[in-house]
Amino acid sequence: MKTLCLTLLLLCTTVELNAQKSQDFIPVDAVTVFSINNISLLQKIPLDELIKYEFMEDLQQELFDGSTSGKTIKDAGIDFDQKFNVFYGMNRDYSVTGFSFGIADLNKLFGAFDDFDKVDSPYEGVQFYSSYFNHLMVRGNIGVLLRVDPISTRVDDIADSTWYARGYSYNRRYNYYDDYYKADYEEIPETYDEDTPAIEMEENIEDVYNVEEALEEIEESGDYIIEEDYAPHKNFYDLKDSIRTSLRREYLLKVSKELFIDGQNLRKVDKVLAEQLTHDVEGVFYLDNERNILKAQPFWHYREVMPSLIEDITGLYKNNKIVGDIRLKEHSIEANMTSNYGDALGTIYKELNSSKFDKNMTKYIHKDNSAYFTYNVDLGKAYEKTYEIIMPILKKEKSRMVSSSVLAIEMMNAFLDKDAIFDMYRGGMFGSFNGVKKVPVRQLVYEYDEDFNYTETETFEEQDIPIFTLGFSTKRNDIPDIFMEQMSNMNSEWQNMGKYWKIENAFLNSVPLFIINHGGMFIMTNDENLAVNNPDGFGVNKLTRSQIKSTKKSGFLYGQMNTSKIIDNIPRTWMTNTQIDMLNAMRTKSGDMQLTSSKTSVSKTDFKLVYDFKGEYEDSGKHVLDLVNSLYVIMK
Amino acid sequence: MKKAYLFLTLITLFIMSSCIEILDDITINEDGSGTFKYNINLSSSKVKISSLLALDSLDGKKIPNRAEIQSRIDHFITVFEGKEGIKNVHMGADFGNYIFRLQCDFKSVKLLQEAIKSAVKSEVKGNDDFLGDNVDWLTRKEGSFERSVPEFSIKKVDRLNEEEINLLKQGNYISITRFDRLVKDFSNKSAIMAKNKMAVMLKSNAYSLSQNPSLLENTIYLSPLKP
Repeated sequence: MKTLCLTLLLLCTTVELNAQKSQDFIPVDAVTVFSINNISLLQKIPLDELIKYEFMEDLQQELFDGSTSGKTIKDAGIDFDQKFNVFYGMNRDYSVTGFSFGIADLNKLFGAFDDFDKVDSPYEGVQFYSSYFNHLMVRGNIGVLLRVDPISTRVDDIADSTWYARGYSYNRRYNYYDDYYKADYEEIPETYDEDTPAIEMEENIEDVYNVEEALEEIEESGDYIIEEDYAPHKNFYDLKDSIRTSLRREYLLKVSKELFIDGQNLRKVDKVLAEQLTHDVEGVFYLDNERNILKAQPFWHYREVMPSLIEDITGLYKNNKIVGDIRLKEHSIEANMTSNYGDALGTIYKELNSSKFDKNMTKYIHKDNSAYFTYNVDLGKAYEKTYEIIMPILKKEKSRMVSSSVLAIEMMNAFLDKDAIFDMYRGGMFGSFNGVKKVPVRQLVYEYDEDFNYTETETFEEQDIPIFTLGFSTKRNDIPDIFMEQMSNMNSEWQNMGKYWKIENAFLNSVPLFIINHGGMFIMTNDENLAVNNPDGFGVNKLTRSQIKSTKKSGFLYGQMNTSKIIDNIPRTWMTNTQIDMLNAMRTKSGDMQLTSSKTSVSKTDFKLVYDFKGEYEDSGKHVLDLVNSLYVIMK
Repeated sequence: MKKAYLFLTLITLFIMSSCIEILDDITINEDGSGTFKYNINLSSSKVKISSLLALDSLDGKKIPNRAEIQSRIDHFITVFEGKEGIKNVHMGADFGNYIFRLQCDFKSVKLLQEAIKSAVKSEVKGNDDFLGDNVDWLTRKEGSFERSVPEFSIKKVDRLNEEEINLLKQGNYISITRFDRLVKDFSNKSAIMAKNKMAVMLKSNAYSLSQNPSLLENTIYLSPLKP
C-alpha cells in the first residue's frame, strides 16, 4: 500500500512537472514580458522558410558559435510547441533579464548553448549552467536563461558603508586605473602584513552555486565582506567589485529559488498577465506600469525623505498595466493594446479624453494627404480634476519643499486666468504630412571677374521640402494675434497677409512658415497652397466623408499613414545613406497603417494598430520576415 | 577632448553632407606681408544643414547647436588674433546662409601659418594627428611663391559612398594668389592667370582634392617689382 501511494505520488509529481509550461517560469520581478506563441507563429511562418533568411543564418552562426556545420535553429533543441517568453524587470536591489522556453532535446540545446558550463546546482531536480554573467537553468522540459545584476546604487551603498566602517576616508578611493599609491601602503596598520590574504573575488564558478555556503554568508552578513579578510592591497574599487559579485550570486539564488523551489512566478501572482497568456495569438506583451513607476530610481530618494507622499502618489498608479496582443493575419498585422489604470488616474484620463471632436480640424486636412493624426483632449477639465485629486495628497505632506510648491500652485491657481489659458489651448490638435514640394531656396555663389575679384550673387535652386501642417483648436484667436502683431513690429520677417501670417525663412532657414489664426483654429504650416489659396480650409478637397467618419469614431486619438506615399515622398536629401537604403528596401513592402483608440473609461483605454497590406503578399508572416530581412541586410 | 570632438564633428558634418565651396584668397605684398581671406560657403546645402542642426545627434554622434558652433568660432578667433604678426581679424558667420568668412592681415606668411596651426591645434586639443604633417603650405622665396593647401583643411577620407562622392564632386576649392607685381609663370598647368597678370587661380572639386591634395600645389614665378 505504501509503495502504491509513493508510486502515485511520484506519478502525480511527474505529471505536474511535465504539465508545467515555459510561461510558468517568468520571475515575479519581471515588469515587462513579451511572449511569443511559437505554435501559432510557426503556422504563419514555417520554420523551414524562416531558416532560409540571411538574418537567421547569422543568428544561427552566433548560436552555434560560428560552426554551424549545416545546423539550423531547428537543431537547437528548442520545443516550438511552447511559448518563448522574454522578460525584464528591476527592483530596488537588482535587475533581472532573460527568457524561458520549452526544451525538446537537451543534448541538441547544448549543441547550441555550447558556451555554458555545468555547475553545482543548489536545487534538486534543477540543472545549472553558467556562461560569464548568464545562467541557464533546466528543469524537465523547461529552460530559463537568466541574468541578474545588482543595482549600482545598492552596490555603492554597501561599498561605501564598508569602506567608511573600516576607517578610510573618501580621499583614499583613488582611481581604479591608477597605480596603488605608496602612501596608502604606508598608512596600512602594522597588524596587517603583505601575507594577509586578499578578499576572495568569488569568481570560482564551482563556488557560485554552493547554496549552503551562500545562504550562510547571506544570513551572517549585512556586511558582505568578512572583516578578517581585510586586504591591504585592495582599493575601493576592488572592494566594490567583490561586493557586486557577491550580490549577484545572492540575487541569482533568490530569483531561482522563487522560480524553482517556491513555485512563485509572475503568471501565478498577476491575473492580468495570466489572462493575457491565454490568448490564442502570435504574441502578447505586458508592461506593469505600476511597478515600473514605483521602482523608478528617482522615486527611491523621495521615498526615504517623504514616504507617505510617495506612497500616495504611487498609489495613483495602482493597477496601471499595459497589455496587448499581436496577431498576424492573412493580409495584415494587428496590435491590440489595452491601457489599464486605477480609479484615481482613470478619473483624470476620463476627463482629459472627454473632449468633443472638433470638426474644424478636418477642413484643413487634404483628402490626398500621406499621413495625419488627430488628438482630442480637454485640458481644462483634466486640470480641474488633477487639481482636485493631487492637491489633497500634496497638502498632507508637511515638508518645507512640498509646502512651498503647494503654495506656489495655489497662488497660480488663484491668480491666473485659467479660462483664458485653456480657451487658448483647449487640447485638441491635428497634424498632417502632405508629401514634398519643390521650393526655390535662396543660395549665394561667387562670381569672378577677369582679375579674379569676386562678388556674392544670389541665386535660387529648387529643393525638396516636406509639407506639413500642425493645428490646434482654440476659442481665443485674439491672444496669438496680440503676440504676432508685436512680433511684426519688431521683426520684418513677420508679415500680416490678411487671412494668414507669413514668417520668412522660418522653416529650415529656407522657406516661409504660414500661420492661419481664425475660426477657432491656430494652424502652422509651410504649405503655401493651404495658407494662400485655402485659408478657410480645403473645401471639397478636405478629408472625405468616410475618412471623417473613421476619425470621429475613434476615441481621443486617431492616426493614419499611407506608408507607400510616405516612403516615396520623404526627401532623400535630408537623410543619411543608411536611412535612404532602409527606405528603398521598404518601398516594396508597404501598406496602410491605422491607429485608433476607444472611448476612455475610468478603468481603461483600448488602442488598435492595424498594418494592412492587402493583396500584394503571400501572407503576413512572409511579409514581416521580408521586412526584417531587408532591414537586417542593410544594417549589416 | 570634447572640444576636439565638437570641432571634428562639425567639420565632418559640413564636408560630408553638403555641397561645400571654399575660397582661399591670399594677397602678398613686396615686404612679405599681406591679406588672407578664407570663405566657406554652404548656402547651397542650407536646407540639409538646417535639418541636421535641428537634430540632437546623428548616428550616435552629438550634433553641435548654433551656440556651440559660434562659441567654437569665437574661441578660434580669440586664439588666432592673439598670435604674433596677425592683425585686423574679421570673422563673419552668416547662419542664415551658412557662409563663414575669415579675413586678416599678416606680417609674413610664416607667421600666418604659425597662427593658423596654433589656432587649429587649440581646437583639436588631444587630437594632434589632426594637423597631419607639420609642413608649411606657403613658402615665399626670392622671385617665387610656393603654395599648396594645408592638409588638415582637406582631410583625405578613405571610405566614401556614392552620395558623399557626388556631393564632394559638386563642391569646389578655389585658391587665389595675388601679388603687387606681375606673374611671370607658374608650375601647375591647371592654374589660370588673371587678365592683369597679377593673380593666379586654381580650382578643383572637393572630391579630387580630398583624394589628391597635391592638385593645388603651385610654384608661381614673379617679375621684378616695377620701379
